[in-house]
Amino acid sequence: MPKVETFLPLKTTWFHIMLSLAGEDQHGYGIMQEVLDRTGGKVRLWPATLYGSLKRLIEAGLIEESGDRPKPALDDARRRYYRLTRLGRRVLDAESERLQELVRILQVKRGLEAL
Amino acid sequence: MKRLAMRIYRRLALAFPHEFQMIYGADVMDVGQEAIDDLWAQHGFVDLLRLLADIAVRLPIEYLSELRQDLAYAFRTLLKAPGFAAVGILSLALGIGIATVWSSEFINLILRDMPGAKNPDRLVLTKSSYPYFERFRDQRSLFTGGAAYLGPIPFNISFQSSGASFKGGGGGTKTERVFGHLVSPEYFSVIGVSASRGRTFDAQIDKPGSAPVVFISDRFWQERMNADPDAVGRTIHVNGQPATIVGIGPRDFLGATPIAPAEMFVPVTSPIAMVPELAGDMIHKRDAKDFNALFRLAPGVTLKSAEAALDTVTRNLDDETLDPARHAKGRRITLLPGGKMAPVPSEALPVVLGMMMLLTGLIIGIACMNLANIQLARATARRREVAIRLSVGASRFRLIRQLLTESVLLASAGGCAGVLLAYWAASGFKRIKVPVSVPVELNVTPDWHALMIAVAISVAAGIGFGLAPALTSTRTDLASTLKEGALQQLRGYRRFGLRNLIMVAQVAGSLMLLLVAGFLVIGNQTANKIDVGFNPLNMILISLDPVRDGYSAQRAANLFEHLPERLQRAAGVQQVTLADAPPFSPLVGTSTLTALSKPGGADQVVQGFAKEIIGAAYFSALSVKMVEGREFNERDQNIDGKNTALPVVLNQSAARELFGNADPIERRIAESSRAYEVVGLVKDLSAPLSSRGSDDGPEIPVIPTVYLPLTRSDFARPPIEGIIVMVRTSQGTDALAGIRRELAALDPNLVMFNVRTLAEEVDRNTVMKTISTIVYGGIGSFGLILAIIGLAGVTAYSVARRRREIGIRIALGARKGQVLRMVMREGGTLVIAGSALGFLGGVGAARALSAASSVFGPSFVEASHDPLLLIGAPLLLASLAMFACYVPARRCAKIDPMIALRQE
Repeated sequence: MPKVETFLPLKTTWFHIMLSLAGEDQHGYGIMQEVLDRTGGKVRLWPATLYGSLKRLIEAGLIEESGDRPKPALDDARRRYYRLTRLGRRVLDAESERLQELVRILQVKRGLEAL
Repeated sequence: MKRLAMRIYRRLALAFPHEFQMIYGADVMDVGQEAIDDLWAQHGFVDLLRLLADIAVRLPIEYLSELRQDLAYAFRTLLKAPGFAAVGILSLALGIGIATVWSSEFINLILRDMPGAKNPDRLVLTKSSYPYFERFRDQRSLFTGGAAYLGPIPFNISFQSSGASFKGGGGGTKTERVFGHLVSPEYFSVIGVSASRGRTFDAQIDKPGSAPVVFISDRFWQERMNADPDAVGRTIHVNGQPATIVGIGPRDFLGATPIAPAEMFVPVTSPIAMVPELAGDMIHKRDAKDFNALFRLAPGVTLKSAEAALDTVTRNLDDETLDPARHAKGRRITLLPGGKMAPVPSEALPVVLGMMMLLTGLIIGIACMNLANIQLARATARRREVAIRLSVGASRFRLIRQLLTESVLLASAGGCAGVLLAYWAASGFKRIKVPVSVPVELNVTPDWHALMIAVAISVAAGIGFGLAPALTSTRTDLASTLKEGALQQLRGYRRFGLRNLIMVAQVAGSLMLLLVAGFLVIGNQTANKIDVGFNPLNMILISLDPVRDGYSAQRAANLFEHLPERLQRAAGVQQVTLADAPPFSPLVGTSTLTALSKPGGADQVVQGFAKEIIGAAYFSALSVKMVEGREFNERDQNIDGKNTALPVVLNQSAARELFGNADPIERRIAESSRAYEVVGLVKDLSAPLSSRGSDDGPEIPVIPTVYLPLTRSDFARPPIEGIIVMVRTSQGTDALAGIRRELAALDPNLVMFNVRTLAEEVDRNTVMKTISTIVYGGIGSFGLILAIIGLAGVTAYSVARRRREIGIRIALGARKGQVLRMVMREGGTLVIAGSALGFLGGVGAARALSAASSVFGPSFVEASHDPLLLIGAPLLLASLAMFACYVPARRCAKIDPMIALRQE
């Protein structure tokens, strides 16, 4: 298995896609919508970029196609669903730790200034 | 608007690579559709544009990523088939490298213009005496200007090093030997060169009797004077005489024959003391065609018309002055293009270029055929792989691209290796010191154009030959290929297939190359051979010119009379003799002799004899036995040829031409007013590069020669090179020190110059031939190597493909010998067919070339009868080719039928 660190820092697009998959399995359009909602319409993953990134995320082993389908009522049969792999989860965790660390450093600095 | 955007989006989405579409095509399409509705409703036009821009940018990225995969895959496949990769890369590298170096040399020598010259196309060159040159130059209707020059000739120069301005500064005098041209004052203006500093020569200023001046090249100024800014106006000593530097040439200008660069230019008006080459009234001698005459053609005059006009002028001049024997011979003027690196007659140009094209074409052709062959073999071998990939859903286009990527990778690797090889070979070439007395510069920097053409052809061939099999192998009927496995291509093996044709063509091409190169090599060698019964390293040649050292004629004659005897005393000296030219030098047979008949017969006049003037015991010093009669002795040197008949020695060719089979001893010969008596007969000694009659006649190794004794008048008027003292020494002794001592004891002021061994002397005469022998030999061998690589590769492949068939045969009871024979027979048929074609082609090409040119003619004539080559070359190639078949054939005879059958 490739080392987690080799993926850090994650590309913005990748991070957003993986963040969307952190909860439940999603199809491409779903990912697009979720990112749009989450960022208040500021980040839009354009379709070609979205699927190009999905392809590369699969090649990198961070996500995979999901065999589980949602409830038949909600299932769109034509669509492929994606989920995080184990590696993907670890990479996502590592990335969010990295970001937290950055935030922490910023807060410490702010704290020092306040003194 | 929305609909237009949708249509563009669709188009772009459909243009994505096949594999991407298979997986994501539908999703991309759907999501795009939904997004477009959404965007249009909420955000309008700008976001629609962003959507389209996004897909337009992703499209090439997807293709690039696929290309990267293809390359990685191709790289892995090539690594997995190292033999295939090696054959391909090696073939291309050798083909490109050798063809480039070789054609570059030609281009640099023949097609490149003289650096520094203005309108070099209008310059023409001929050999002429100075008075004739002056008359030619005055033909205002033909030429806008003319200049004569002599050279390259050596100058001993020395200058006072003033302080640190010269290299190695610190004061004192430095003597160096440089080569330059002795030129008429118009030299620079005719070529169109102006001085970068100072002035060039001027007919108005540089007159006989004016203060001696020299003009130096930029190279001289940079390298020997350290680019001294005050160089112009300085005094340097040229051959011991002071002269003023009046000008420095432009960069890159190295005289009118740049292949033998001139660093210094001295006007013909210089005093004789400064330029000994002017001795003997050279400027006014009408019969010495020593000068190169360079003319600039007047507008509208062609080389041919100028040639014809000069012919008439020459005839008139000959009529005016010289003996009547002369004009009868109808001497002709040959004008050569004068503005090139080296003068090559324009008639010879197509032949020389044809030669170059033929050989480079063959080399590149063989390289390409190698490539085609292995590509075809490999494509057949990969049918199954291709079929499997097609059946699991790879697109045909993608597969072709994949196969093509491999070809391109292979071709570019080969191309890079070829370029490296070309530069490496060229730098190796440059390091070869050409062993000639005159410095020669062979510029073999790979010519940019030649390199590009060679690379382009080979890479195009690599790709093309990769494409054809890719197209056919992806068009296969999947089901049958998968079922049959590798069996299918067996059918093609014995048919008159493309691959068999290529193999035949390859053998034929290689043999042609080998033969043509062989003809040249052998032709050159027969022309180069000298035969002496001792090691030519053991003969030392020394030039002496006592008259130019201040001796009177009488004193010089006395010196030479006693010299051999004195030198014999030195340790290690076996024999000493004299001659007025080095032995085995090129001869020109221009003398006409009359064999005086015995009473009752008719006199016989024969043309085309060479004359050599030699001292006592000349032949025994060369360890050549007299066939009949005697050779010259000391008494002959004292004969005054005016009243009595001079004794002469003939070589066998001369005796045959003059007297047929009759005994020549004591017969009489006449040459105009002089009479000779034959005292001896000697076998033919070869004289490489000799020619009979006119200057441009064919070179022949043996020429009818009459040997005259050196007499007192010869000693009084030594030739420019001085009298040659030939000393044969015992093996392994350093006799030279002793010789120097003896000479110093005779007279310490006597200058020995041009000291060299006979071996060096012969090399010097034949150096161009030796170089061409190496080059052609190299080309022949590379062709051979290429062909063997190709044949071995192809046979190995086809045998490997037939493992199953052979396995069945063995399982059915075929013996190993039978299998071996079968494989060898099939290879052998192709080799024999190719050899026969190549033999005809090679001999035909040689005939055509020899008919077309007097330059290559004689070598071809000599060599095309050489049994060693005619039988040896095909045999060599065929046996190597059969060996190339044998190795894989033997391997397949060892096939274990069970394993072979199970594997399929």
